[in-house]
Amino acid sequence: MIAPVLYLIRKEFLQIFRDHAMRGIIFVVPLIQLMIFSYAVTTDLKDIRIAILDNDKTIASRNLISALVESDYFKLVSTAPNPKHLRHNLLTSDADVTLWIPLGFSEDLATGNGAQVALNVDGSNSSIALRALGYTEAVVRLQAMKSLESFIQASITIPSNQTPSTNWDLQDEDQIATSPRIVPQIMNPRLIEPVMRFFYNPTLESRYYMIPGILVLLITLISAFLTGMAVVKEKELGTLEQLMVSPLTPAQLIAGKTIPFVVLAYFELAVATTFAILWFKLPLVGSIPLLALCALVYLLVTLGVGLLVSTISNTQQQAMFTVWFFLIFGILMSGFFFPIENMPVIIQKITVINPLRYFIEIIRGIFLRGATFDDVLPNLLPMLVIGLVIFSAAIMRFRKRTK
Amino acid sequence: MKRILAIARKEFLHILRDPRSLAVSILMPLMMVLLYGFAIDMDLKNIRVGVLDFNRSAESRSFINEMVSSGFIVESARLSNRKEIEPGFRQNKYRAVIIFPADFSLSLVKDPVTQIQIILDGADGTSAATVANYLNAVTSRINLSYAKEDFGLDILPIETRTRVLFNPELRSAHFIVPGLAALIMMMICALLTSIAIAREKETGTMEQILTTPVVAPQVIIGKIFPYMVIAALDATLIFLVGKFVFGVPMNGSWFALAGYSLIFILIALSLGLLISSVAKTQQVALIAALMITLLPTLLLSGFIFPIASMPAVLQYVSRVIPATYYLEIIRGIILKGVNWYPRMGGILTGMSLFLIILAIKRFKTRLD
Amino acid sequence: MASLEQNTDNTAVLIQNLTRKFGKFVAVDNINLTVSRGEIFGFLGANGAGKTTAIRMLCGILRSSGGNAWVAGIDINKKPELVKRKIGYMSQKFSLYNDLTISENLTFYGGIYGLKRKVISQRSRDLLDRLKLVGFRNRMTGALPLGYKQRLALGCSVLHRPRVLFLDEPTGGVDPVARREFWDLIYELSDQGTTIFVTTHYMDEAEYCNRVSIMDQGRIIALGKPTELKQEHNVKTMQEVFFDVVQPVIT
Repeated sequence: MIAPVLYLIRKEFLQIFRDHAMRGIIFVVPLIQLMIFSYAVTTDLKDIRIAILDNDKTIASRNLISALVESDYFKLVSTAPNPKHLRHNLLTSDADVTLWIPLGFSEDLATGNGAQVALNVDGSNSSIALRALGYTEAVVRLQAMKSLESFIQASITIPSNQTPSTNWDLQDEDQIATSPRIVPQIMNPRLIEPVMRFFYNPTLESRYYMIPGILVLLITLISAFLTGMAVVKEKELGTLEQLMVSPLTPAQLIAGKTIPFVVLAYFELAVATTFAILWFKLPLVGSIPLLALCALVYLLVTLGVGLLVSTISNTQQQAMFTVWFFLIFGILMSGFFFPIENMPVIIQKITVINPLRYFIEIIRGIFLRGATFDDVLPNLLPMLVIGLVIFSAAIMRFRKRTK
Repeated sequence: MKRILAIARKEFLHILRDPRSLAVSILMPLMMVLLYGFAIDMDLKNIRVGVLDFNRSAESRSFINEMVSSGFIVESARLSNRKEIEPGFRQNKYRAVIIFPADFSLSLVKDPVTQIQIILDGADGTSAATVANYLNAVTSRINLSYAKEDFGLDILPIETRTRVLFNPELRSAHFIVPGLAALIMMMICALLTSIAIAREKETGTMEQILTTPVVAPQVIIGKIFPYMVIAALDATLIFLVGKFVFGVPMNGSWFALAGYSLIFILIALSLGLLISSVAKTQQVALIAALMITLLPTLLLSGFIFPIASMPAVLQYVSRVIPATYYLEIIRGIILKGVNWYPRMGGILTGMSLFLIILAIKRFKTRLD
Repeated sequence: MASLEQNTDNTAVLIQNLTRKFGKFVAVDNINLTVSRGEIFGFLGANGAGKTTAIRMLCGILRSSGGNAWVAGIDINKKPELVKRKIGYMSQKFSLYNDLTISENLTFYGGIYGLKRKVISQRSRDLLDRLKLVGFRNRMTGALPLGYKQRLALGCSVLHRPRVLFLDEPTGGVDPVARREFWDLIYELSDQGTTIFVTTHYMDEAEYCNRVSIMDQGRIIALGKPTELKQEHNVKTMQEVFFDVVQPVIT
C-alpha cells in the first residue's frame, strides 16, 4: 500500500533535483524573493521631502521647523523664496509636502490669536500623502499643545513648586475674572496625557509584519504552482495515462504527487524562517509546532488548488495562468498589503472564502504576538473547512478522470 | 507586410481561442482595476479599540464618546481587567486598548496632568503609528475643549491650514489606476509575449515558422503586435474605468499620455523578447518574467511602496526600473496636468532604444 | 457466469456486447470477442473507429455504458482495480520519464506495481539483457533514439509479468528494422504465455498477428486469421482486406 507511493515520491524528487531550472526555482528564487520583498515591502514612511517657506523668521517659527526636521520623518529639501516656488516644488515632484509659515506667526502665537501655517500636500501619491499629512499635523499639533500648556500654565499661575494637592483650596480672583466661565473649584487645568505603549513590536518595524506574509506567499507558490504543473506535465507527456492503467489507486497517486511538495514547502518554510530570524531579526514568539500544524492545514488548501487546477488544465501554460489568476486576487484580498477592515463591506464578505487571509493572520499572530492554539482557532477552522472542500473536490475530479 | 499580418493573425487566434489567455489578458486587468480601486484604501478606517475603564465616570465616558464620534474609531471590546488585554491582541480583537485608571476623574481636577494608558498592538507597525496618531489627536481635541471650558480659549495656538493638491480627497484610486496601467502593460507585454514564444519553442512550431521564407524581424513584429494591441487596449480600458468609475481626473493631455505609454509598451515588449531568447521552456519564461519585470514593477517602482523608505541599494535599483519613471510621468500627466518631462522622458526613450536593439540582436543570433 | 470463470485458463479476454456512448455518440457499439491465452490479437481499424475507447475500457480506466468484459478472468466493471494488476499497457507516446535514466524508469514502474526491490533489480537485469539495453542503463531516457525508447517502454510494461499486454500503436514512428526487432520480442512474450492485444496502423504488421479484428464506426466488421480473411476477400494482403471492408461504409 505504502511502497508504491514511496516509488512515486522518489521519482518526483529525482526529477526535481535533476532539473536545472527547478533547482533554481526551489532553492534560489525564494531567497531572492524573500530578500527583495522584505526590503521593498516596507510601509514605514521615512524621509518625507518637505519644502519650507519661512516668512516669519523668528524663534517660534524656527522651533517649529526644527521640530519637523528633527523628527525622523522629514527631510528638508528646499527653503523656498516665495509661495509660488512651493507650488512649483509640488508640481515637479521635488517635494511631497510644503509648509508656509507666514509673517506674524510668532506674534499670533504669543497673543493667543491662533497662529496659522499653510500645509500643502501632493495628493497624487495618496499613500505617501496620507501619512505625510498625518505626521506633519502631528508635529505641528505637538508644538501647538506645548504652547497651549504653557499658555494655560501662565494663565492659572500656579506656583510651580507647589504640589497639586496643596493647590486644592487656592483661589485666584484674578483668574476667575479673566475667565468667567470657569467653575470656581477647578484650580487646576484638566489635561490628559496619553502614555503609549507598543506591545510585540515596540520599534514599529513594518518589516516584521510583512515578512510572515511573504513566507506565506513563498510556500503558496511552491505548493500550488508546482503541484499543478507537475501533474499537468505528466498529462502532456502521456505518463499520467500510464499511471492510470497501473494498479495505483487515486489515493496513492495523489499522495505520491503531493507529498514531495509538502516536504518542499516545509523545507522552504524552515529555510526562509531561519533566514528571516537570523538576517532580519524577525521575532518568533509563538510555538513552532503550532506553526507547522497550521502550515499543514494551509498546504491542504494549496495542494488542493494545484490538483484541482491540474484536472481542468491540459497544458502547463493553462495551469500557470489559472493559478496565477486566483493567486493575484487571493493576495490582494488577504490583508497582506492592505488591511481588510479598510475594504468595502461587500469585499470584506468575499474575503471570508479566501484561505490566504486566514493563514496570513495566523502566521502573523504566531510570529509576533505568540498566539496560542486557542487564539488561532477562529482562523484555523475556516481554513480547514476550505481546505477540505477544495481537496475533496480535487480528489473527486481526479477520480472522475480515472473512471 | 502580408507575412507579418499572417503571423499576427495566428497569434490573435491563439489568444482568442483559449479562454484562459483571454481571461488573463482582458478580464484580469478589468477585475484588478475594479478591485484595486474599490478595495485599496491606505487610510485606516474602523480602527478597533478596546476600552478598560476602571473609572466609569462621566469624564471617561465622554472621552470614549469623543473618540468614537470621530468616525475613525470603533469601540470593539469592553474589558474588565488587565489580564484580558493580551488574549484580545492575540485574537486580533482590537488594535489598541485604552485604560482609564480608577482615579481618572479625580486626577483630572486634582493633578496638573492626568495620565491615561494606551496599549497598542505594534505588530503592524505602520498602522500602529497611525492609530497612535489618531488617539493623540483625539486627546488633543479633548484637552482643547477642556481649555475652552476652563479658560475660554477657543482656538489652538497654531492652526494648520491644510490643502491637498492634485487629489483633494486623497482617493487611492487616483494613484492606483496609473500604477495598475503600468503593471498590466508589463504583464501583457513581457509575461505573455515571453511565454508565447517559449511555447512555440517547446512545441517546435517556432522551427516550422523559421523554415518558411519569413525573416526574423517579421516574425518578431508579427508575434508581438497582438500583445501590443492588447496592452494598449487594456491600458485604455483601465484609464476609462479610472475616469468613469472612480472619477480619476484627466488634467493633462491624452496625447502625451499615449506617447509616453507607447514608449513604455515598447520597453516591456523588448524585455519580453529578451526573456524569451534566453528561456527555453514556459516555466522558465514565467519565472524569469515574474522576477525581472513584474515584481520590480509591483514592488520597486513606487507603485504602492514608497521608494524613499527603501534601503539605498534598492533605491538605486528602482532607478533602472522603467516603471519608476513611467509612473511618475503618468501620475504627473493625469493628476498634475504636467505634460512635458524632458529628463525622465529622455531616460525612458533611451531605455527603449537600448532594449529594442538588444532584443533584436539577441533574437537574430539565436535564429541564425 | 460460473462456466466463464472456469474458462479463464484458456480465455484471456472475453468481450460481450460491450458498448460505450459519449452523449449521443456511440464510440463502441455492442462488440463481442474472445481472445485465447498466448494469442497475438490484432485490433485494427481506422482512426476514430473506437479502438482506443475499447482498450481503455478493457484496461479499467473507462467505464462501459453497456455489456461486459473479462480480462484475465476479471470482470472489468466490477473490479477494474484488479484488472490493472493483471495487465500491461504501452501506448504510442511511450509514456517514459525523459529526465530519468533507463534503470530508474524500470525501477519506478516496477515499484508502482508493488514489486519488491529485489524482484525489480533481478527482472530489470534480465529485461535489459533481452532488450539489448544493458550498456545504456544509466543513460538519460530523453537522449535515446526512438527505437530504444520503444523497447524500454515495452520493458516497463511487462516488468510485473502481466497476463494480458495491451499495445496501442506501439510502433508509431519507428524505423522498419526496429519494428522487426520489436515484433521478435512480442513473439517471445507470446511464447511465454502472455496474451498480446495490439492495435496498429501498419497492415503488414497485421500479418504477424494470430488473429485480427477490424473495427469501423464502433463495430467489429471483420474477424479471423489473416490468411482466412485474405482468402475470404480473395486478396493478397491485409491492406486490401482492410480497404475492402472499410471503404463501403465510408462512402
